[in-house]
Amino acid sequence: MQTAPLGLLRDLDPKRVMRAQVGGQDLVVWRASNGDVSAWDNRCPHRGMALSHGFVRGNDLACLYHGWHYGSTGACSYIPAHPDLDPPETIKTAVFSVAIADGVIWVSTKGVAQPAPVPMASQPLRCFHVQARSDGLAHACRTVAFEGGAPEQIEPGLYRLGARRVFVLENPLDEDRIQVTALVDADATPNDCAALSRWCDAVRRLAQTEKVAA
Amino acid sequence: MTQFTLYDYVLSGNCYKIRLMAGLLGVAYYTVPVDFYPGHEHRSEPMLALNPSGTLPVLVADDLVLSETQSMLGWLATTFDRSGTWYPVSDANLHAQVLQWLGFSARLTASVGAARLNAMLDWPVDVRAVRAASRKDLDELELLLTDRVFSGRTWLVGEGPTIADIACFPYAALSPDAGFEHDGYPAIRNWLYAVRSLPGFVTMPGIHPLHELREDTHDG
Repeated sequence: MQTAPLGLLRDLDPKRVMRAQVGGQDLVVWRASNGDVSAWDNRCPHRGMALSHGFVRGNDLACLYHGWHYGSTGACSYIPAHPDLDPPETIKTAVFSVAIADGVIWVSTKGVAQPAPVPMASQPLRCFHVQARSDGLAHACRTVAFEGGAPEQIEPGLYRLGARRVFVLENPLDEDRIQVTALVDADATPNDCAALSRWCDAVRRLAQTEKVAA
Repeated sequence: MTQFTLYDYVLSGNCYKIRLMAGLLGVAYYTVPVDFYPGHEHRSEPMLALNPSGTLPVLVADDLVLSETQSMLGWLATTFDRSGTWYPVSDANLHAQVLQWLGFSARLTASVGAARLNAMLDWPVDVRAVRAASRKDLDELELLLTDRVFSGRTWLVGEGPTIADIACFPYAALSPDAGFEHDGYPAIRNWLYAVRSLPGFVTMPGIHPLHELREDTHDG
């Protein structure tokens, strides 16, 4: 599995936790108080609880079930029921490589995360799921008009929409579901972003409609 | 001193709207538990005599009997919110936007709320229709909350929380009960977090407290 885009750093403030997927691997993605982003196997080594239900305590992630704490290496650092115990190093969750580039959270489940290049100075637009295959999504991106004009595909994933460009990053979730992370030109205004966000919705609707029709 | 009586079912997202609003406003009230499931007590003759619509919750304050959550939220804010911010009726635009979201909250109840009742209690509904409507309503909420992100705002209306947020919160938060996870809805997820961070926030089964807001170094 190559490095996958798991959404926008804008949408994950420090001390927040979210759930994500890369190539069938269920992940907890969370941000420590110091701003560091981690991506782990979404399973507490203690009782198997999804760590994405957990909460951030300082720079540790705590499981919601019994409050076991895990530090940045994924190793258990504290067990509330045994406060004087120094937890064995074997209590450890699987840790995956994370990189932040262009405001996007990139994760690799094999080796070091290597973000794909973004071909423009960008800012975050939005992240959403679409029930479609990659070719259906690309077709919808080429088809849905923006402000009366047809989109122009500049290169794979990069579309010119009127005066703006949108870069569409894909993370396949399963056979016909994609997590989309969309970026827009760095100088787009909030009004531009709101309009292009609606274009994203229209793209999703078309991609999903055509999937049903197919 | 208790200010009203709430005929209540603990697993109901609609009843929770009123418990949550009362908690946020610091209003004490008296609860009458109603055996919605499996007893169908809300359709019993004594309950129908009180509330002919046969729905929950029912709010009773002296002679006032309310059976719609929107009217209860409005009454609670107008009666107990001295700041006047929870229900901004003096500003026509803000007021209209709050009413718009109260209407949306009723749609969420009919879509996500119904899909959840079906998933949890095998409630008879048109599953296909309510699931399609749930997806559409959650997509709409995500789009409009993403607009708020672009303009640097957190809440549905204006600069602070209003009864609009409280009306829409429960079924958006409880959507995973019906199989609609929040993974694909980052704007909804962050707005839910903002509501859960409010002072006086109360929980219900399926909506847990934010432990990270307590600043102890260690806890369970």
